[in-house]
Amino acid sequence: MTQRVLNERGKRYVGLPEFARIGAQILAEMDLEQHRGTVTTVPDERTIRFYLAEGLIQAPEEKQGTASVFGYLNLLQLLTVKKLQAEHLPIRKIRELVDGKSEEELETLLGVSGASRKKSRESDAKDYLESLLAPAAPRFTAAARPSQQHAPDVDMAGEATEQSWQRVEIEPGLELHIRSDYTPPTTSAKSKTLAERIRSLISRWK
Amino acid sequence: MTQQHPKVEFFTRREKLKAGREQTVDVLIRITPPAPDVDLSRHPNWKGRPDLNLSLVLDRSGSMEGEKMIRAREAAMFCVDQMLSTDRLSLVIFDDRIDVLFPSELVTNKPLLKDMIARVSARGSTALHEAWVRGGLTISEHLFDQGINRVLLLTDGLANIGITDTDAIVHQAMGLYQRGVSTSTIGIGADFNEDLLMPMAQAGGGNAWHVVEPEDMQHIFQVELEGLIAQFAHTVSLGLIPADGVRVVDLLNDFALTDTGRYRLPNLQGGTSLDLVVQLKVTAQEPGTQLRLLDLHLGFTRQDARNADVLKLAHTVEFVTQSEVEPAAENQEVVKAVQFLMNARARNEAMKRMDMGDFAGAESVLMGAASATQLACAPFGAMPAVMEECEALQEAALSLKDRIKDKLGRKKLAYAAYSRQTGK
Repeated sequence: MTQRVLNERGKRYVGLPEFARIGAQILAEMDLEQHRGTVTTVPDERTIRFYLAEGLIQAPEEKQGTASVFGYLNLLQLLTVKKLQAEHLPIRKIRELVDGKSEEELETLLGVSGASRKKSRESDAKDYLESLLAPAAPRFTAAARPSQQHAPDVDMAGEATEQSWQRVEIEPGLELHIRSDYTPPTTSAKSKTLAERIRSLISRWK
Repeated sequence: MTQQHPKVEFFTRREKLKAGREQTVDVLIRITPPAPDVDLSRHPNWKGRPDLNLSLVLDRSGSMEGEKMIRAREAAMFCVDQMLSTDRLSLVIFDDRIDVLFPSELVTNKPLLKDMIARVSARGSTALHEAWVRGGLTISEHLFDQGINRVLLLTDGLANIGITDTDAIVHQAMGLYQRGVSTSTIGIGADFNEDLLMPMAQAGGGNAWHVVEPEDMQHIFQVELEGLIAQFAHTVSLGLIPADGVRVVDLLNDFALTDTGRYRLPNLQGGTSLDLVVQLKVTAQEPGTQLRLLDLHLGFTRQDARNADVLKLAHTVEFVTQSEVEPAAENQEVVKAVQFLMNARARNEAMKRMDMGDFAGAESVLMGAASATQLACAPFGAMPAVMEECEALQEAALSLKDRIKDKLGRKKLAYAAYSRQTGK
């Protein structure tokens, strides 16, 4: 089902009959059930006109001759409206949920987000958590703070600074402290120089 | 794997309802997800459980020193022992500062991880919020699409550094859950804030646990891990659509509502039933009427699936004359479920009275709940669960006389109410 909907990405449907036909095809595959009520599971052209009038489907701006050209966003709006109707939500609530939603948001609402979903969820969770940290960043400091000599921009007097640090244990007895705004070396030569500096530093403990 | 649906059963006090009068009807809805399939020979690519992506967020503030810290370390090491090489684990420790002791990594070198845990010691105060966020961040770096991503926050104290506002943290836990990472909380002893940790776990799609004695910590970890392993579905919601002439008056479990007006249910555990009680007001019906009382839509996302499923069922009852209804015995499961959920409300009411300093009122509420339970369940004889419930209520009421134990008593009430409402 997911792929069937996602295959429609970027497609255009010239005229209401064509748009209604594709919508009906996909909805038939979605097998939406409605036990009660007067709402049709598969919309006809008249129903779609009603949705357009009610603002549930955005009126297409593009025309070919006299025919309106519907797009993927319109299709997602139609499918979402039908899905939510099948769940017995009132039109008012459906309008609230569908209004102003992007293609991606409607895909999520429909539950058909594609292969990129894992990545987007991952970055979504990460971005969200980072946004939560933003006002509280000063509190995150390393447990065993690096000496002033190694990290002169950290206030060692006790009050936290604006930088945040993460401590990673490389192996027992050796830790790496990384500031949040640190950028790793971008070339192999710079990486090699950095590795040499670390090797030189830890060799003192032999 | 065969796609099995949860089993949903409907029970009323009596199988048939009285005709000819308006009435309030208690409907027990029992949702039982299929038990995990342990016959791995039939599913060679299935390990028997979902992959776990956990972050242990461990309080090491000064108050954890001694027995609590020792037990917390043991519990964390136990957790490492239970994990598979395909699971991921990170450990965040916090006091007034936060350390990612190790970032999210596959659990392939257990001795090394346990050695790092063994060196954690107590100190400082409690930056709970940021530590929780840091734990979530380690998970979000390697989010499992179909496994379980969970922060397990363990603390004995109050959030007193950074963001401390309860509502804000609870709201954030819900936001994180909506992005695929759930949160469970373990409060230790009598000094943590149950009004933060419990709602945080509920909104965060995880479990809330209270460890009274440090030696119980490993057991709680075990229960939490078993729950994760047996998790059948997450993001569970319930829609109830009454028939014409029927009105939903109350859902006794007091579950919060989603944006779309559904009830937000706890995660479903394979083989473990979740009991819900809905009270309906039903208009008078003619004898012989078969009424489709209620439509139920159960939305859930299976642990091994990406998209949500919706299970749709209806419950139909027959209306008969009073003389036909009366001889039938009441269903004891319905009576018990209603009473236990009312007791959860009584516990919450007692907590409110304690907070206002009305200890006599709290005691009265709890004793009243115990009496009501005994009375309601008397026709069914000695039921161990009912006796246990009455003893727990009476013990809670009596402990109010000993004011030194106020804080612990309040926590016991809070977690017992939570347990009744969520079936955990």
